[in-house]
Parts: sequence; structure tokens; C-alpha cells
Amino acid sequence: MPHRVRSLSYLRVLAFAGLVSGSPVLGSIAVAEELLHQRIDKLIAASAAGDLAARAEDGEFLRRVYLDLAGRIPSVAEARAFLDDMSADKRTTTIDRLLASEEYSTHMAEAFDVMLMERRGEHDEWMKFLQTSFAGNKPWDQLVREILAPDAENEAARGAAFFYTKRLERYGQQDDDMPGLVRDVGRLFLGVDVQCAQCHDHLFIDDYKQEHYQGLYAFVGNATIRTDQPFPAIAEKPLMKEVEFTSVFVQVPKSTGPRLPGGEEIELPLFKAGEEYEVPPDRKTNSPGVLKFSTLKILAEQLPRAENEFFNRNIANRLWWLMMGRGLVDPLDMQHSGNPPSHPELLDLLANQMAAHKFDIKWFLRELALTETYQRSGRLPAEGTVPPATSYRAALEKRMSAEQLLRSVLEATGESTRVREEKEGAPKFKDVADRFNKALANPPKEPELEFAPSVKGALFLSNDTLVLSLLERHEGNLVDRLIKLDEADAVAVELYLSVLTRRPNDEERADVREYLDQNGDRREAALGHLAWALLASTEFCVNH
Amino acid sequence: MSRSPLCKPWEHTLTRRQLLGAAAGTAGTIGLGGLGGLVQPAVAEEMKQKEKQVLFMWIDGGMSQLESWDPKPNTQFGGPFRAIPTSVPGVHISELLPRSAKQMHHLAIVRSMCTQDNSHSAGVGRIQRGDPKNRGVTYPYFGSAVAKLMGPCERKLPPYVWVKPGSSGFIHQDAGFLGPKYGALAFGDGKPPENLLRPDTVSEADDAARQKLREAANRRYGELRRPLANDANSYVYDMAQTLMRRSDLFDTSQYDPRDVQRYGTHDLGRHTLQGLKMLEAGVRFVKVNSYGWDTHGDNFNGHLSLMDKFDQAFSAVVEDLADRGMLDHVLVIAMSEFGRTPRINGHVGRDHWPEAWSIAMAGTGLKRGVVAGATNDKGTFVDTDEYDIGHMFHTWFRCLDIDAFKVEYDNGGQPLPIAHDDMQPITAVLA
Repeated sequence: MPHRVRSLSYLRVLAFAGLVSGSPVLGSIAVAEELLHQRIDKLIAASAAGDLAARAEDGEFLRRVYLDLAGRIPSVAEARAFLDDMSADKRTTTIDRLLASEEYSTHMAEAFDVMLMERRGEHDEWMKFLQTSFAGNKPWDQLVREILAPDAENEAARGAAFFYTKRLERYGQQDDDMPGLVRDVGRLFLGVDVQCAQCHDHLFIDDYKQEHYQGLYAFVGNATIRTDQPFPAIAEKPLMKEVEFTSVFVQVPKSTGPRLPGGEEIELPLFKAGEEYEVPPDRKTNSPGVLKFSTLKILAEQLPRAENEFFNRNIANRLWWLMMGRGLVDPLDMQHSGNPPSHPELLDLLANQMAAHKFDIKWFLRELALTETYQRSGRLPAEGTVPPATSYRAALEKRMSAEQLLRSVLEATGESTRVREEKEGAPKFKDVADRFNKALANPPKEPELEFAPSVKGALFLSNDTLVLSLLERHEGNLVDRLIKLDEADAVAVELYLSVLTRRPNDEERADVREYLDQNGDRREAALGHLAWALLASTEFCVNH
Repeated sequence: MSRSPLCKPWEHTLTRRQLLGAAAGTAGTIGLGGLGGLVQPAVAEEMKQKEKQVLFMWIDGGMSQLESWDPKPNTQFGGPFRAIPTSVPGVHISELLPRSAKQMHHLAIVRSMCTQDNSHSAGVGRIQRGDPKNRGVTYPYFGSAVAKLMGPCERKLPPYVWVKPGSSGFIHQDAGFLGPKYGALAFGDGKPPENLLRPDTVSEADDAARQKLREAANRRYGELRRPLANDANSYVYDMAQTLMRRSDLFDTSQYDPRDVQRYGTHDLGRHTLQGLKMLEAGVRFVKVNSYGWDTHGDNFNGHLSLMDKFDQAFSAVVEDLADRGMLDHVLVIAMSEFGRTPRINGHVGRDHWPEAWSIAMAGTGLKRGVVAGATNDKGTFVDTDEYDIGHMFHTWFRCLDIDAFKVEYDNGGQPLPIAHDDMQPITAVLA
């Protein structure tokens, strides 16, 4: 009875949540007996104000959950097995299997790399840090702590410093991007974009004050890049005095020590010159020394913790966005009183639960995947009416990252193994990945939040020789499998299951038959065209 | 902390009205939000019929007004060059523009530009975005604005193309809050975009067949779906197809050698000639540009060489557009982010001068052979009404038959003016 055990442990954690977050314990005992995914569905249904879409068909669900948890579409064998599986709990067991897979950690590492670095660049140590973090289901607060105060001595986590170093890097005439770093600490970990409050209180958002920007700046402003290490690493200069600033509108000089939005200002200790270090820096050994008062360490202690509502809400909102396609607070980095969440009670619940469950990302994603909300069809409930995106009445279409598209194209064309194992004649995985990124990823610093197709991407999928080579016949790939099938109907089924994770309808079967009949003398090419058309279709290119 | 890449200095000049009227807009609503414009508003439908187009020549770094459209020979700051008569009696321009002088009867010059920013970092963006002042959002460059408001021409080529020196790419930043779709498709050195050419393994007939299959798949997917993603995906494939069909636009080997000589074999000449072909093919907005005009040192030798290239390309394209009757529907604009100081510095250079400078235009909606505004005798300041970039945006929108007082952007529910709401078109140059 694993079900029962789960709900008991859940109750224990709830009591903890009340203590930790200081928020009122969530409702009565009767409510607390429900699992999070059930409570989510109730809250969504309560404010739906219209018909809900039907439950997604098995194929639709399977494709979605593979993309969200494993970063690729299912293989044709996985699709067949699932569709033919008659057991009642097959969705839940699939969710659990995917969450336990190695592909989960790879996918999450890629998704969080895109979210946190916004295509600024790549680094193996950073990817290793993310990959091991998600493989071990590292709690989000710990992961953020390791990013905010990177430890060069910790080999498994030192790559976390890339978050800082890439933003502090100087190249060509480009100066470091300290304002961008301050902004991103707020945006990505707190869901608040205080950039516009750098020089004055935010003009349109009353909650964002210049103190917020400058307070965050006081934490990270003294970070510098260490150049003595082959891996990303930072040093920190002592913060000797408060950050002084003046609004460009109100010429009154102010100052602040380190301070989180909504938090207390931290008083600066006074040290005599030369006594700022526990262990002084040593030029001979290139050691950066150990500060007595490290604002980065204080930031890492104070920002990622359950008492910080911004922190809890941000990660709950971002994970919700990742699974559901739209943040409850939208845009994701615009949490403020003038931009309330679409479902305030739900966001409170999610944020509290995330904290109560010690920032267990896997648990949280599992609950989301189990909701009816997540498992609803993307087909609209009724003709003529488009329900608002904020209603979650029908599943929203999500952008597929360049990484998800790459892995899915390889899966669909049956080329995954050949390319990964770099079989003879096969293109190298890294080369294919670079091409996909170049054609389909956003430019640096541009968040990838929504489906935004481009002419460049269309030309890439249409004409790139490497992409097209995947549709030539190689032993065991899609076209090879199709060519061996005599019946047009069998071809159609194999094709649609492989590419779109569903069986074709009658009209689609007829089209396949007709096209094959027209091209009887050149079957390989014809099969390639049929497969290409599905790969280039919207149904394949978005996560729906 | 001296500088911020996101909060630009020009966004800090506020009027009370704008502060009061400003809503909580953010630049975050891009992507699909921006694709709402796929279904063009009625005004765009009307526009499409007329197929008005724009050629925008961007002179990056700051062309000296004194060495171009507003010479002041034999004065304290006039420099060494003479003024010459033009095809319009009484109008004189710098001797560095001998060919353009012969096209003056097509041109409309504004000599009383007075703008705000004297740094490149602020000016380049502010000027090309029409200085909408602080709306809490990043405004689109003029090309993106036109792409949004008018859409592609009937032939479905990308609406905003930039033939530029250097690298290719999709310059989505130009689009600001309109969303990346309205960015510039940039062809570095006029080269075709990657993957433009169909590989030999796919015949034209095969391509048509597979595209038809793709369209059928999208049609089926689109039933009972939110339309945006499917529309957007179909749209970029349509555009890719159109570009593939017109790959000849990138084959400069087919150009008439006499044209190549006339426009100039330098970057600006080649790119302007290619720009003309793009306009003929049906691109809505073509931008070409020339870098290297920031002549803080040796201004006069610098302009001697630069102006010759500009004069060649600009006069040739105006002449050709006029010959083909295209000036009736094409608006030509040649401008920089500011002019250059009358004062000649210790390096025999001129510095940045937004206080009094000139813009040259020609074509649809404009009078021909006119000069509007004037600077004082020394060319230091504007003597007549001063025109800021907001006036120019109003003027250009008027030329394109877009009513800037009626048409607004819709930024996710936040209405935003398309041109500075305290400014007016310059009637002196409007036809």
C-alpha cells in the first residue's frame, strides 16, 4: 500500500511546513489528507469558468511526459508497449520510471542550463554539476546554495561557479556584466526583476525599490573571476563599506548593506585594514584567502531557505511553468503585487509544499505530472472558443528546446543509437547537437520561454544535409523499417507511432497509401518525404 | 556599475503625462504573444494593397552635415570643402555629393534635426526606435515597426531584411517588445542565409510534394487547437519557401556589371544594389548600412573617402527608383544617429553633434526637391523649428499611409503609441 504510506508522511511534513514557513497550516485535517495533485486539480477546476478539455489520449500523454521528464519522445517500441498496456496505473508507473531514469537527470540538467545560463555559453564542469545534482535529486535550496557560494574545493560542485564567472567574464571590448548578474540572481532565484530599479525606484512596479537592486548588488558586487584555475572559480574581495547610491530622480544620497528583497539589511562588521581575512590571500600559491565576512556566503545562507517566500514561490512557479507551459505568475520574473498570480491560492500551496518537502524537485514534478490538469488534452473542449491560457482548461503547447528536438528527431528517425554510439558513417552526436543549437536555440541572454519558430530553423530542417541524411536508409532506422513493410497501412502505423507517438487516422492512412502509390518506383525517397513532413509539422515541433 | 545594458539613459527623460499614463508594461511578453500580429489588423490589410516599401540607409557613426547636406563654406567651422549647385535651383550641397546633387529634384532634405543623445550607445538605439520615451518597454526599430504594422508584401518575402557588412543572422533585438518575429533577417555581406539552397538530393518536385504533406499535417493538427503555434510554424515555412524560390537575389554574379560600377564595388554600393533587387522582389523594408563614420580624427580625409561611396550608392539607387517609377511607393531614408560638431577638434576631427544635423529622404509621400529647416550661419544650431526623431517617425508613418494618431501597438493589453505622442509630422516635406 505505497499510496497510504505516502499520505501519512505527507501529514508529518505538513506540520513541519507550518513551523518552517511561518504561514498558517494549510487548511483543515480533512484537506490535508488529500495529495497535492488532487488539491491542485480542485483549485484549477474551481476557477476554470468553462469546459475542461478531455483527458489526453494515451499517445498524447506519453509523448508529453517523455518530453517533460526524459527530454525526448518515446521510441516506437516504448509507444507500442504503452498503448497496448491495459493496466490501470500505467501512467503513474511510466512517470515513476522516467523520473528514475538517467535521461531525467540529463534532461533536467539541460533544461536548467538553458534557464539559468540563457545560452551564454557552455562548460563541462557546469553541466557535470547540474547533471550530478539532478541525478541525486539534490534539493533546490542546496543546489542554489552551491551556485551562490561556489566552493572550489568541492570537485563535484565547483562547476556551479560558472553562473558567476560567465557573467563576470570580459571579452573583446565587452565589460563584465555585473548589472546582469545582480539582475539574474533576482530573476532566476527570486522571480523578481529589479534591473529597472538600478538607478531609481522602479517606475511602474511599486514593489521594486532601488534598495532592492543595490542590496542585492552589495552581496555579489565584490565577486571576481579567478584565473588561476582551469575550472570556473571566483574570489571575493572584502566589502568594506555600504553601497552608496542616489536615485537619478531624487538626489538624496543613500546607502545599504547587503539586503534581500523583503529581508533585513545586514550590518557590516568593522575590521581594521589587513584584518578582513581569516586566511589571507597568498599570491605565491594563488590562494584567494578566506574572508571573515563573506557576503556571498551570507547570500547563500539567506536566499535559498524556506523562510524566504520569494524563493519558494519562484521555484514552484518555474517548475509549474516547465510542466504546464505557463507560469502562475507570468512573466516568471515579475513577481510583485501589481502582477498577481492567476491562481493565488494555488501558488501559495505549491510554494509552501515545495518548502515543506525540503525542495524535493522530483517529488514536486511527480505531483504535477499526476494531476488531471497536466494530463488533459491540448485539443480544445469546444469548437469556436479558445479558453484563456490562464485557465489551464486545455493543455498548453510548450516550446521544445533545441536539445529536446535533437533527441526527438534522433528517436523518431531511429538514428539515436547509431549517432550516439558513433557507428561508422554516422555523424557525431556533438556535431549534430551543435547544428541543432545553432539553428534552433535563442541567442544569448534571451530566455527560451515560448515557442518561437524562425525562418532559420525552417531552412535548417528543410535543407540541412545532416538532418536529411537521417532520413536516408540505414540499417535499422525508420526508413529501413518502413521499406521492409509491404502494406501501406502498416507503413502508416509504423511511421506515425515513430514520429508522432500515435496511430494515424483513416484520412492519414489514405494519404500515405496514395503517396506511396504515386511513387511506387522510388519507395525510399517517398518514405523519406513522408517522414520529413511529419518531422517538420507543428505536431512534432511543439510539446503539446 | 557605471553602465547598464538594459536600462538605457534615454529612457530616463520623462514627461509627467507619460509617467501618469504608463501602465505596468514589461518587455517580457514576446514569443507567441508577439505572434498575435499574424492576423494583421485591418489597417495592415489596407496597406498591403498599396505595397509601400522602405529603403533605409543607416550611416553608422555620424555623417557630418557640414560635409554633406548642409555645407557652410568659408565660415569659421565650414571646413575645406565647397558647396555646389544642384538640380534644384538655389539648393546647394557639399561638393562631396556631386552625383546626389544631380538627383536633388527627387530629394527632401531636413536640415533642422535637433536630437538628444550624443553617444553612439544611446543614439543608435534611440534614433532607430523613434525615441518613444520611457514606456517601460523597449520599442522596435523602424524596420520592425514597419514589419509589424504593414506585414510582408504580397509575395511573402520576409518583411524586414538587412543587408549588412559582417555576419548574417536574425537580429531579433530590433523588434523590442513586438516579439522576435519582427526582427531583421540579416544577410551578412549580402550572402544567402544558411541552408537556403535545396540540396541536390531533393528535387524541386520532391520539395513541393513534401511541403504539401507537411501542410496537410499542420491543417489536421490545427483542428481544435489554439491557432498561434501552428500559424507561426506554418508562417516561417512559407517564408523559407519564398526565400528559397528567390535564391537568385543572392546571386550577385548575375548583376549587370554597369550597375555594379555605378553603385560602387565597395560594401555599401554592392549592398544598396542588392537592396534595390530585394525591393523589386517584394521585401517590405530593406536596411543597408555603412560603418566607420565616427571621424573624431581626420574628419575631412575621412569624409572625402566615405562620402564618395555614399554618394555613389545613394544617387544610383534614387535614380534607379525614379526611373522605374518606384519612388511613388518606396520611401528612401538616409541618416545617422547624429551629426558632427561644427567645432573642429585638435585631431582635425569633428565630434558628436545631435544639436543641428540633416537627414536626406526621397520617395513616396514626400515633396520632391525640397529643403526643410535651416541652421544658423555657422551651422552650430538650428535656426528654425527643431525636429526630433519623433517628428521623423510621424513623417515616415504618414508617408506610408499609417495614421500614427490612430494606430497603436497592443503590448499584451497595454496600448502604446507608434510614434512619440507629443510630436507631429513635418508638413514642410510632406506631399
